[in-house]
Amino acid sequence: MRGSVIILVRIAILAALLAAWEVLPRLGLVNPMLLPPLSDVLGTLVAILGRADVHEALAVTGAEVVVAFIIAVPLGAALGVLAAENAYFGEIFRPMLFYVFSIPKSIFLPMFILTFGIGFPQKVAYATFSTVFIVIMSASAAVESVKAEHLLVAQSYGATPAQILRRVYLPSMLPILLEALRISMIFNFTGVMIAEMYAARTGIGHMIANWGENFQMPQLFAGVILLATAAMLFNELVRALETRCSTWRT
Amino acid sequence: MQHLAHMSAAQNAQAKTAVEVRGLSHVYAGREGAVPALSDIELDVPAGRFVVIVGPSGCGKTSLLMMLAGLRPPSSGTILCDGRPITKPDPARVGVVFQEASLYPWLTAVENVEFPLVLKHAPRAERRARAEAMLKLVGLDGFGTRYPHELSGGMKQRVSIARGLVQDPPVLLMDEPFAALDEQTRMTMGHELLRIWSQTAKTVVFITHSLTEAVYLADEVIVMSARPGRILDRIAIDLPRPRTYQMMATDLFGRLRERIWEQIRTSP
Repeated sequence: MRGSVIILVRIAILAALLAAWEVLPRLGLVNPMLLPPLSDVLGTLVAILGRADVHEALAVTGAEVVVAFIIAVPLGAALGVLAAENAYFGEIFRPMLFYVFSIPKSIFLPMFILTFGIGFPQKVAYATFSTVFIVIMSASAAVESVKAEHLLVAQSYGATPAQILRRVYLPSMLPILLEALRISMIFNFTGVMIAEMYAARTGIGHMIANWGENFQMPQLFAGVILLATAAMLFNELVRALETRCSTWRT
Repeated sequence: MQHLAHMSAAQNAQAKTAVEVRGLSHVYAGREGAVPALSDIELDVPAGRFVVIVGPSGCGKTSLLMMLAGLRPPSSGTILCDGRPITKPDPARVGVVFQEASLYPWLTAVENVEFPLVLKHAPRAERRARAEAMLKLVGLDGFGTRYPHELSGGMKQRVSIARGLVQDPPVLLMDEPFAALDEQTRMTMGHELLRIWSQTAKTVVFITHSLTEAVYLADEVIVMSARPGRILDRIAIDLPRPRTYQMMATDLFGRLRERIWEQIRTSP
């Protein structure tokens, strides 16, 4: 009963916001140049989704996000496991990693441009750099969440190292790893967007920045809706998986 | 089945030795140099016996059990089980029941019990049947699909016992298995353990802090000293079996308990 009430209230708030977005500009209560009505924005969204240059930009951005993710996650996971498992490596690098983690990564963007230019490699390099630290932290936390007595039980029943990895480490770490995957995608996507909006020749972030500079508000809002939807879809997908894999966590 | 264990307890003079410890010492590297943890342990556990080890905290009881399980090598000395040395974990000879929270929370009760068989690549149907039978033995018939967080503390330890027995090892090591349970559950679990023991005729080495638990369960209580752990005394518990709760109120029970306490209290 309570749960369904909460969902109804949520839907009502969302509907009210969308209705306000539609009605306020149409009534002239909000400047329609700054906030075009929702229906105009949705019309523009459909129109830009049919444009070849938008397809190309989306493909470039998608490739940057995927490649950076494929590099940052295994790299960060390996370093994180090393920091947690190898006392020597951990003692030396853990404090450094913590310090670097606290720095806003965007201040390094000019250096990435000077080193890599403003093309595909720079986007991937910068997004990897933005993401890898959170993956390292999460992977360390995941390894440390493995309980010593759980390892001892497996050893006492003669488990091989491979069996311990598969039957103890992996299931123990899975919920934290999935959460890390989700959060690192947020960092990764943000990294690509910042790099594209700052300096680029293509990519959807670059297009959005241009639309903003040229005061093309319907296009700008259409782009925002598109990217917001993509990000939320990925997030919810991994979260659904997370819930399935962590029913045992209390 | 029940009198099997009683017989072996009665004729232990002739019975073969299940666990033999010879000249075992252990020293570990602490912050300020080498710390002697166990010193010159000699132990013979005849097959089918229920032996309880008691001693003050830090006397190396758990270290000794780790070594009996083959999980940690002693600095010197040998451990024989069924006449053959123990150098690494051998679940076919020695099953271990750990303290609380040793069940895998991502596995159901029956999956936890069959875990040792999964490691051995036993066929699915066979290991499931075996695990179900063990759950039935420990009184958890019908609870197989529950996850550990859906079970009470006592039920979790029943699952742990079932897991320890699933490969039918002749020796069962138990490291303070009931320490985290409340007093009533602890008494019930002790009684249940004796029932399971008499039905399976295992050799049990049981570690505890509780003197009452020690006297109630044991054929023989081994008293250890504080660090470095040495064996101070071996006390035969000649209370009749099956044990009953009423025995706790007898003079003999009190005297045995007192004798153990005296040993621990006056140990240097």
